[in-house]
Amino acid sequence: MLPDDNAEIDAAVRAVLRDVLGLSEERVGAFRSQTPLFGALPELDSMAVAGMLTELEERLGILIEDDEVDGEMLETFGALVRFAATKANQ
Amino acid sequence: MLRFGPAIGPVVIAAMPLFEEANRTRAFIVTVLRALADRGIASVLPDLPGTGESLIDTENASLNDWNIALSSLTENIGAERGAVHGIAVRGGALIDAPFASRWHFAPIPGESLVRDLLRTRLTGKDSADDAIELSGPPVELAGNRLSRTLLAQLKATVPVGTMPLRTVRLDSDTQAADRHVPGSPLWRRSEPDNDPALARLLADDIAAWIATCGG
Repeated sequence: MLPDDNAEIDAAVRAVLRDVLGLSEERVGAFRSQTPLFGALPELDSMAVAGMLTELEERLGILIEDDEVDGEMLETFGALVRFAATKANQ
Repeated sequence: MLRFGPAIGPVVIAAMPLFEEANRTRAFIVTVLRALADRGIASVLPDLPGTGESLIDTENASLNDWNIALSSLTENIGAERGAVHGIAVRGGALIDAPFASRWHFAPIPGESLVRDLLRTRLTGKDSADDAIELSGPPVELAGNRLSRTLLAQLKATVPVGTMPLRTVRLDSDTQAADRHVPGSPLWRRSEPDNDPALARLLADDIAAWIATCGG
């Protein structure tokens, strides 16, 4: 079953960040809405962004177009979850 | 080319994931092959043309070259040892060879792989908008210079579906599989990592599969 409620989507995004960036459960568990991502996490380089987008697509059953990817949705954990939730509920 | 396990009995050839994913998963795959050796199953881990220790530049490698190289290796080993079984991880499943049976871990269509590679340009200076034209110089993607022919071939290829085939995926992977197993996608990590428990689980699965395929 693909996650479709916001708590599940939040959990899925945390799991993707944990898996793609190799972060601990504690560390991703501590992410809050304003936690900065791209530019702040050294682990999140161009290959990691690509991997993260693909894992999100696969786990949430969504499709992310290149032109939807911008600095804004990558800026904070909250922005990324909101983006994922919007796509999952389309 | 690495070889593991006993001099007699069933043999497996392992096709690693492609490009950077191979570097990230090599230690894990070797752990699986060592575990297979403990279970009496020999294996071979080749460096395909343009990868690893191969003398050919990556930009001169094509999927056809890989199919030919893997098939030729399969035939040579088959002549020495009898039935040769194939195991493949991720993009390794795109390469074809006359195996007696196939076992795939987290296989993906070539199109997804190429999409992943092109995505690495999204946050960089290069435009991700450029459709990759078929003619032109090799493209640098995620640290590898790849020929446009190879990219086009990969885009058009799906995991080899020749039976008998068994597919295993991670729990987090929603695609169909004969079995889903717990674990995280090591091919996604920027630093190579290992998962010995998963390696043993997969080795058990491979051993059981080969036994049912008359290995």
